[in-house]
Amino acid sequence: MGRQVAIVSAGFSEHASKRSDVNMGELVSEAIEDCLKKVPSLEINDIDAYVNGNMPAFEGSNIPELWMTDWMGARNKPLIRITTGGTTGGSVAIAGYYTVTAGLPGVETVLAIAFEQQSQGDTSVGLASVAYGEISILNSMGATYDHLTRLLSGGAAIGAAAYQATTYMNKTNITEEDLARVVVQNRHNAAKTWWAHLKMPDLTIEQVLDTPYIQYPLRYGMVCPASDGACAMLFTTEEKAKDLCDIPVYVNGVASVANESAILGYDGSGSAQIDPSMQLGAIRSSELAYSQAGISFPRKEIDYVEVYSPFPNQELMWVEKLGLFEEATAPEMYKTGVTAVNGELPVNCSGGVNSTNAIGASAMERPAEAALQIMGKASNQVPKTVHASIGSGWGGSLNLITLMVMADEPQRKWR
Amino acid sequence: MSKITQRKHLDYVKKEYPKTRTMPANWYLSSYKYKFNITHLKPFMDKLKEKKLVANQCSGCNRVFFPPRLVCGQCFVVPDKWVDIRDTASVATYAIAFLKDENGVVQERPMVLVHHDGADTCSIAELREDIEVKDTYVGMPIKAHWKEETSGGLMDIEYYELIEDKAKDLKTEKK
Repeated sequence: MGRQVAIVSAGFSEHASKRSDVNMGELVSEAIEDCLKKVPSLEINDIDAYVNGNMPAFEGSNIPELWMTDWMGARNKPLIRITTGGTTGGSVAIAGYYTVTAGLPGVETVLAIAFEQQSQGDTSVGLASVAYGEISILNSMGATYDHLTRLLSGGAAIGAAAYQATTYMNKTNITEEDLARVVVQNRHNAAKTWWAHLKMPDLTIEQVLDTPYIQYPLRYGMVCPASDGACAMLFTTEEKAKDLCDIPVYVNGVASVANESAILGYDGSGSAQIDPSMQLGAIRSSELAYSQAGISFPRKEIDYVEVYSPFPNQELMWVEKLGLFEEATAPEMYKTGVTAVNGELPVNCSGGVNSTNAIGASAMERPAEAALQIMGKASNQVPKTVHASIGSGWGGSLNLITLMVMADEPQRKWR
Repeated sequence: MSKITQRKHLDYVKKEYPKTRTMPANWYLSSYKYKFNITHLKPFMDKLKEKKLVANQCSGCNRVFFPPRLVCGQCFVVPDKWVDIRDTASVATYAIAFLKDENGVVQERPMVLVHHDGADTCSIAELREDIEVKDTYVGMPIKAHWKEETSGGLMDIEYYELIEDKAKDLKTEKK
């Protein structure tokens, strides 16, 4: 039952706030080109199946995978589309893994593609459609629209993250300076990554703290941009991967865990997560994925981390919740440089979602970058040898967590 | 106050891309009919009219849901027990939004989720207007203030007011 799956390549398109020179199809084929360039012995005809995904309604066009078929070379081949909100990319990568591990005859090499071209449409319309039903029911219960729009103001994602930031800052007694430090590290890393969006090589903590609040406690300088971009990953079987590249990256564990939705809850009933920074979904997903991968001591066994952190407080939260640092110690690790490129446990050396956020693609860029770090082909390569790495995703109805654990050696769970 | 929204620019390495043809188009969204089952809210709304708070409790995990919930996600059963809830609460979490009012002046508007004593969920709420936002902290004790005339809706609780707490040395105090 099941096959060992390996990643042989991953590719990115250039990310920018307005990719005015390409449309969605061209953007996607840019990422595929970069992905196939890294495996010269593989041609587009050798790909057996496709998985595709982005956020619905963000670009103002639904079912984009159908008219994009020729741009991906997917004509006459199996193709599915996955869309799970903010974690779309992570779910697409996991679907690519599932497709290969299922062991269908004739399906060995699968290309997973996630993309988003936010400059083409109106993101707020897409986001409003997510919560509009819930808002309507609260309105019917007597809450005013003024109150409800305020609750979700500043864009849906920052509305959720600001609550997490408040409780996290309360719990750990950190200041905004600690949040700014995370941002500065990310933006400096992004400056060394060719595909990243916000490349700020000279950013300082003072500059970040000088920007106005978007939503207390998060400032303008701390939040992620809205980017255009695409990401592609190539999954294949263990045997084929050994022929295709020198260092195949084995996918040893995947998890996708949905927890209770925060803030609004279902049918306006409020959330049972009284502490929004608790994130039981992240804890559960790490338990699942690590047990699949045979990792008992994540702090010792994992060498490189990519977490989904549009906002700096989330980066601190995730590295703790995914079992990489002790509770409430993450800010100290950023201060002492443990998480820097040449540190003990480098985090987000591509700049993370904080520097590049093409929503549908973001959660896939995390495992893609983590895989490239193991292969040694990453743009901002860490100096130490990476044996095991993880890439996480966050989103969905505010609490869907995806996690992929990769290593340079297969976990022999199938034998 | 307009300084709040004035976005200070952070420089980054930009690359200019050539502009190819763009086709402008509009997408007028239709009106929708969302389906929700709100039968479980009826006792809750009726009690609100009498200035009383009730919540329902899951018989599987004993969690108390305020406002009431149709199904307990943990146990996958319908919560059928009704319990009374006190009107004292604490701030579960908060954030501050910066929104323009009708005159175009940016105002600080706090948004709070309150956790009622005796309940296991938190819900959206409004604090009394003269409570300084900067004095808000997680765990701040508050109390519901009712409207003069209740109509049986969530907004019957006009706002939450601060309770004087003498336990200043507790760690709930703002750092």
